Amino acid sequence: MTTGIPRRARFFRFPWRSAKQIRADVDEELRFHLDMRIAALVAAGIPPDAARTQALREFGDLDDARQYIGAVDHDIEAAQRRTDFMNDLWTDIGYSLRKLRAAPLFTLAAVVTLALGIGANTAIFSVVHGVLLDPLPFPQADHIVRFRFTQQGHGDAGTPMDLVDNSTRTKSFVGISVIEGTTANLVRDNAEAERVLGVRVSANYFSLLRSTPAAGRYFATGEDQTGAANVAVISERLWKQDFSGDKSVIGKTVNINAASYKIIGVVPEAQIFPMTADIWMPKIWDPGDLSDQSRGARWLAFVGRVKDGVDVKVANNEVEKLSEATEKQFPEQFRERRARIVTLQDFVVGDVRKPLYIVLGAVALVLLIACANVANLLLVRATSRESEMAVRTALGASRTRLVRQLMTESVLLSLVGAAVGLLVAKLAMHELLGRAAQTLPRVDNVSIDGVTLAATAAVAVITGLIFGVAPAMQAGKHELATALRAGSRGTRTRPGANRAKQTIVVAEVALAVMLLTGAGLLLHSFVKLLDVDPGFRPDGVLSMKMTLPEQAYDSTAMRNLIQALETRMAALPGVKSAAIANFIPFDGSSYDFSLQVRGQTYARPSDQPDVQVREVTANFFSTIGIPIVRGRAITATDLASAPRVLVVNQAFAKKYFPNENPVGQALHLDWGKDPDGAMSEIVGVVGDVHGATLEDAPDPTVYASLAQYPYRTLTIVARTNGDPAALTVPMRNMIHELDHLLPVYSVQTMTERVAGSVGPQRFYASLIAIFASVALILAAVGLYGVIAYAVSQRTHELGVRVALGATGDRISRMVVGEGLALTAVGVVVGLVASIVGGRLVASLLFGVSAIDPLTLGSVVAVLAAVAALASWLPARRAGRVDPLVAMRGD
Amino acid sequence: MAAQPLDLLQGTLDVLVLRTLAWGSMHGYAVSRWIHERTDGVLEIEDAPLYKALHRLERAGWVSAEWGLSENNRRARYYSLTSAGRRQLHSRELAWRRYAEAVFKVLEPA
Repeated sequence: MTTGIPRRARFFRFPWRSAKQIRADVDEELRFHLDMRIAALVAAGIPPDAARTQALREFGDLDDARQYIGAVDHDIEAAQRRTDFMNDLWTDIGYSLRKLRAAPLFTLAAVVTLALGIGANTAIFSVVHGVLLDPLPFPQADHIVRFRFTQQGHGDAGTPMDLVDNSTRTKSFVGISVIEGTTANLVRDNAEAERVLGVRVSANYFSLLRSTPAAGRYFATGEDQTGAANVAVISERLWKQDFSGDKSVIGKTVNINAASYKIIGVVPEAQIFPMTADIWMPKIWDPGDLSDQSRGARWLAFVGRVKDGVDVKVANNEVEKLSEATEKQFPEQFRERRARIVTLQDFVVGDVRKPLYIVLGAVALVLLIACANVANLLLVRATSRESEMAVRTALGASRTRLVRQLMTESVLLSLVGAAVGLLVAKLAMHELLGRAAQTLPRVDNVSIDGVTLAATAAVAVITGLIFGVAPAMQAGKHELATALRAGSRGTRTRPGANRAKQTIVVAEVALAVMLLTGAGLLLHSFVKLLDVDPGFRPDGVLSMKMTLPEQAYDSTAMRNLIQALETRMAALPGVKSAAIANFIPFDGSSYDFSLQVRGQTYARPSDQPDVQVREVTANFFSTIGIPIVRGRAITATDLASAPRVLVVNQAFAKKYFPNENPVGQALHLDWGKDPDGAMSEIVGVVGDVHGATLEDAPDPTVYASLAQYPYRTLTIVARTNGDPAALTVPMRNMIHELDHLLPVYSVQTMTERVAGSVGPQRFYASLIAIFASVALILAAVGLYGVIAYAVSQRTHELGVRVALGATGDRISRMVVGEGLALTAVGVVVGLVASIVGGRLVASLLFGVSAIDPLTLGSVVAVLAAVAALASWLPARRAGRVDPLVAMRGD
Repeated sequence: MAAQPLDLLQGTLDVLVLRTLAWGSMHGYAVSRWIHERTDGVLEIEDAPLYKALHRLERAGWVSAEWGLSENNRRARYYSLTSAGRRQLHSRELAWRRYAEAVFKVLEPA
């Protein structure tokens, strides 16, 4: 009775049994046993009743056996299902691989399309994960917060007393530390002076971050008190670069800003914060800082750690309430001033969150278009595989089985695409990160890791299911008899399949329109931004910075150096004119003070206007190319001994002297450099310059004479007729001759500075533009494929038309018309979606509305042209149909 | 009065079932009768543990089961040894024989 065939090689499969069937089978088996036994006993002469009793007694515990066997069979059944599933899967995979190998062109087209789509998504997702999602590398990083101050809605900074108040009058914080940015002129023995970014922090800073030093120790309590010894912590990168990672650096003394500091510890690379810092020193307060009088001077940043178990929102409430109370208590200094906290992560990456998610959205659209293309390829292929499917159905394959096999094929295709896509992602990320360093924080944290691999695999499977489902359902729907009758050449396309292809093309065009619109808007606003006049002439100007250390330069030494620099620079060959300022446009600085206009009274100090202040030497305006509108510039005669003078810009003049000539008026700047009540005369008005970005309107600005108010940060600007970068070496040498311990930094042409300010816009616009181009190409290929296929399917019909007198031209026009009709539907859908979705990008745009008619019009024109081309190629073939050949072939 | 039937040692029933099925495919009732006749009733085995053993062995993959027609034309569940079961029987038989020999060595007078 046994077949002798091992279970695994069974030719067919019993249908799976339900729990109810299992119980019935168990009962039947046991009943058979008892019946047999009773029959045997009766045959041996025992009366039926006694026979039954004996059979049951011999059997033992019947109910227990039933239950046990039922449970065991249930296990067997489940195991069987698993085995069957895996067997089917392997069969399907093997079959799919054979099928894919048999159609190399199709497979190649699909894999390349998917690799582009999935690879781009992997690359962008890696960036999103590394920059936005991955927590900062500190324990319980979500409880580290940064304070944000605003005054009358504008960004503001903290005062020393804010630190005291928040540390002593709140309950939610483990502690709060100040962060005060500073530049450090670092001199090691026998080495060139080097300028590094440093910060001064409270002694508790590193314990709040819960950082562990890579070597040495961090600040101890009390090391930020007056009288404590000078100690410093350095970054791991500085440690490796300047001290070759030698542990003996701990305890060594270095010269920072012309003072001696003992190095006590090293911050591990991953935990460097702020991310540009290389040196941390304790912030030691001047006694005057910690008094209510100092509440007006605001320049500090704070980080704090919220206690474990306390919600950051609760801490934020406390901070907000405290800031309201402070404002009420000191109305003189504060007006609508608020403090709140944001997590450090939000602070670091908050600005790039939205643009990155928009880029991720764009790249997801590209993947959808890729899906659409592959789905179309599959639909075309499905038609040629109808007889294969019919044969398999005839041999007993169920519809679900066929659909499952086709889905396996799709997912497999997608996974192969994803594998190739990883290579694409790797290459793309190399390019991307090189360009992103200026725009994105945390780019060092971006990599293809376990999370991104898992995400890619998930995307691949979902992608396979998306593009596989329509073709698989189509294939499952065919009618056996029709398919077989049509013979090996495959069947005529059913209307359903055509409609599916057309819908997919419409969707593709619509998606491409959305991407092109987004890219168009971003590019358009980028061009507008570049068109903005910065207010000066950046070409031909080189700039560089230096910071004079307090210990080495008193104010006389500063004046002498400034004078020496001016004289020497002017004498350098190639220099047309040169000047010095403390800060210049597009150097990322903000230096602002409140002021009093002569003749005006202010109820409270917080009513006084706030302006940007720049200190410049003679020739600054002519060197950098800012026009003098009225009066005169700061000149060489405005020396320390001369009366104090100021020059204002047009924005200032318009805002504070709308109906008067500002020249001849006088101001008092509250910057502590003039005696109380002393007035400086306005001697001239100059043109506006954009200070930090081309987007923001120029701020009201006041220019003072650097010779009258020497400043420690100096920015040199020099104009030449030739290449400004060529001035770098002679200028550096000249400065080195004046003071070889003075490091020069931030050497950039003004053109570079302006271009750098639009770096983010350039970055995002070019990314989206790349994706949009890929989308356009994919959509064009998709449209071409559908039209070309339709033409090939209609050869017979076209032949008849030609035979009936239609000219080739007319046929071509008809085919192109069909392509354009599909495109038109897609364009309309895409435009509607773009207008609805336009609000998403609106905040990234400059000078362009989200429904900019020029952009939308260009997108329509581009798509129409591409669609016409994509349809014209097959249309030309259609127009050349030879009626005889066409009709004979059928 | 006949001697009390012996209690089965742990795992012995599995060996007996496997050994029985080594003769060929048979249903549970046939297995029961076969063991009963071969042991002359010395090992009075209840049918409940026997059926439990059959299904347990099926779960272990040593025995496979299929529905077939019995000699009196009724649906019956037929069991047969798989090749894994055949290997299992072989190794258990060896173990059992070694065990029994050891026991005999102790029991037999020197």
